[in-house]
Amino acid sequence: MTSIISKKLGALIAIVALLAGGWWLYGPRSPSTWTEADLAILQSLSIDNLPSLPPDPSNAVADSETAARFGHRLFFDTRLSVNGSVSCATCHQPERRFTDGLPKGRGIGLSGRNSRSIVGTAYSPWLYWDGRRDSQWAQALSPLEDPAEHGGNRMQFVRLIGDDPAYRHFYELLFGPLPDFNDRRRFPDAAAPVADPTLREAWQKMTVADQHSVNIAYANIGKAIAAYERLILPGPTRFDAYVRAVLSGNQTTAEGILSNEEILGLQLFIEEARCTECHNGPLFTNNEFHNTGVLSFPGDLPDRGRIDGVRLVRDDPFNCLGEYSDDPDRNCPELTYVRTGIELIAATRTPSLRNLGETAPYSHKGQHETLASVLDLYNRAPLAMIGHNEVEKPLGLSRRELKWLEAFLDSLDAPLATEPEWLTAPVD
Amino acid sequence: MARTFLRRTALVFLLFPLAASAEDDSWLTRSGYYRISYKSELQPIEINRIHSWVVHVESPAGEPLLGAEISVAGGMPLHNHGLPTDPKMTTEIGSGDYLLEGVRFHMNGYWELLVTIDVGGKRDTVIVPLNL
Repeated sequence: MTSIISKKLGALIAIVALLAGGWWLYGPRSPSTWTEADLAILQSLSIDNLPSLPPDPSNAVADSETAARFGHRLFFDTRLSVNGSVSCATCHQPERRFTDGLPKGRGIGLSGRNSRSIVGTAYSPWLYWDGRRDSQWAQALSPLEDPAEHGGNRMQFVRLIGDDPAYRHFYELLFGPLPDFNDRRRFPDAAAPVADPTLREAWQKMTVADQHSVNIAYANIGKAIAAYERLILPGPTRFDAYVRAVLSGNQTTAEGILSNEEILGLQLFIEEARCTECHNGPLFTNNEFHNTGVLSFPGDLPDRGRIDGVRLVRDDPFNCLGEYSDDPDRNCPELTYVRTGIELIAATRTPSLRNLGETAPYSHKGQHETLASVLDLYNRAPLAMIGHNEVEKPLGLSRRELKWLEAFLDSLDAPLATEPEWLTAPVD
Repeated sequence: MARTFLRRTALVFLLFPLAASAEDDSWLTRSGYYRISYKSELQPIEINRIHSWVVHVESPAGEPLLGAEISVAGGMPLHNHGLPTDPKMTTEIGSGDYLLEGVRFHMNGYWELLVTIDVGGKRDTVIVPLNL
C-alpha cells in the first residue's frame, strides 16, 4: 500500500517537475528592467542620437538643392547606361529602401555583389561592401562604367550632359561652363580608362588635358548624384519611439509600443548576442569591416572583401586625396590613416539594421534569404572559408531566443525621413 | 543584464594590473625610460569618430622629452582584432607634446594601445588601457 502511494507520489512529483520545467523553458517571459548602463546603450542606438549630416568638403555642391534636383534626375535616368536600360534606380529602388530584392545586382549583366541600400550612406566614411570608395560621389561614378551595371563610359555621359538642354542648364548653374566636347578628333564617341580595350585605347589617344576636362565633368555628375543621395535618410521606427518613452520614464506607454518578445529580443541584442559590438550607433552600424564567416556564394570563390577594398580606394583617382576633390586642404583623415592587414581578408562592411524588412536578401552576395538564416550563422559561428571569423564563439541561443531577436529586428522598419517627392522619378 | 555588469566589472579588475602601472592617467614604459600621458580631442571619447590625441612624453623625473618618435598599434585583446585605423604621429608640438592623428574606435569595450617611444634610439613600449 505504502509503495503504491509512494509510486503515485513519485509520478505526481515527476509530472509537476515536467510542467514546471516546461513552464520555465517555454512559458511567457517578462523582460527585466533596464539598468543605467542599458539605458545609455538604448539612447546611443536611438535615431534621436543621429547627428546632423556630416559635411563633405570634397563635394562643393553636396548641400545644394539645385544639385540635388539635378542628381535626382540623373539617378532615375536610364540614358546613363550603354543601352538606355539601366539607371541608378534599377538596383536602388526607393520602394525597397533603395535595394533590389536580389542576391546580386542585375544591370546590363550580373553584378559581383549584393546592391547595398543608399539610405544614410552620407554618414559612412566608406562605401560598398569592401569600402573601395570613400565618398558618395566617388561611389556614384563606379557603376556607370562597370560593364555588368550601367556599362557606359565617361565620354558618353559628359556628352549627354552637353546635349540635354535641361542637364546643361543645371550643370552650368552649379559648375560653370561645360567644355565643348564636339570635336570628335579630340573627344571620341566613347572612351574611358577601363578594362575594355576599345574604350581604353580611345582614352589613351586623348591628351592628358582633354582627359582631365572630361574627368572634371564626370566627377561633377557624381557630385550631383551625391547631393541627391544625401537626402535619403532613415525615419523613426517603433524601436525609437520605445526608447523615447523609456527614457522619459513612461513605462506604460513604452510597453504598448514594443511587444514582450521584441523587448526580450532587444535585451538579447545589447547583451548576450553581442550585436552592438558592430551594429552600434543610431544607424546600427560601425561602418567597419568584419569577417563573420559568411559562406561564399554558390559557384563563386570566397570574396576577398576589404583587403582588396583598401587597395582599390587608395588607387581611386576620385578619392578624397585626389585631384577631383573640392577640399583645398585635402583633409581626409579616414583615407590618410586607413589600415590594412590580414584581419581584413574577407571582411565586409557592417550593414545598417534599419529597414531589414524591405532589404532582403542579406550579406555581401545575398547568401541569406531570411533574417533567421543570418542569425543561425552567428549562432553557429563556423570557420571562415578564408581569413578568420571574428565571431569566435557561437552565440548558442535557443530557438525561442532567436525568434525574440528576429522580432526585435523587425521593429526597426519605418518609412524614410525623406520627402516623398524625392522617392519617385522626377516629374518635369 | 546583471551578468554582463559582473562580466565587465571582472574584466576591468582582471586586466588593469596587467596593462601598465598607471599613476594619475600617466603610464611608465616597460623598461622605465619614459612616462607618457595623453589628451583626446574628443571628451569623452566616442566610438566611430575619427579624432586626434596629444601625447605627452617625459622622463620618469617629469622632464618633457623632445625629438621622440611615437608609433601606436593595438586593438581589443578579447576580440582578437586590431585598431580600425592606422594612427600616426604627425607633428611635434613642443614641450614634450606630440600630435597623434587618425584615432578611431569602432566598438565599446576594453581596448589596449601599444605605444612605442623612441628618443635618440632608446626605445621603450607601454600598453595603455582604455575602456569605452
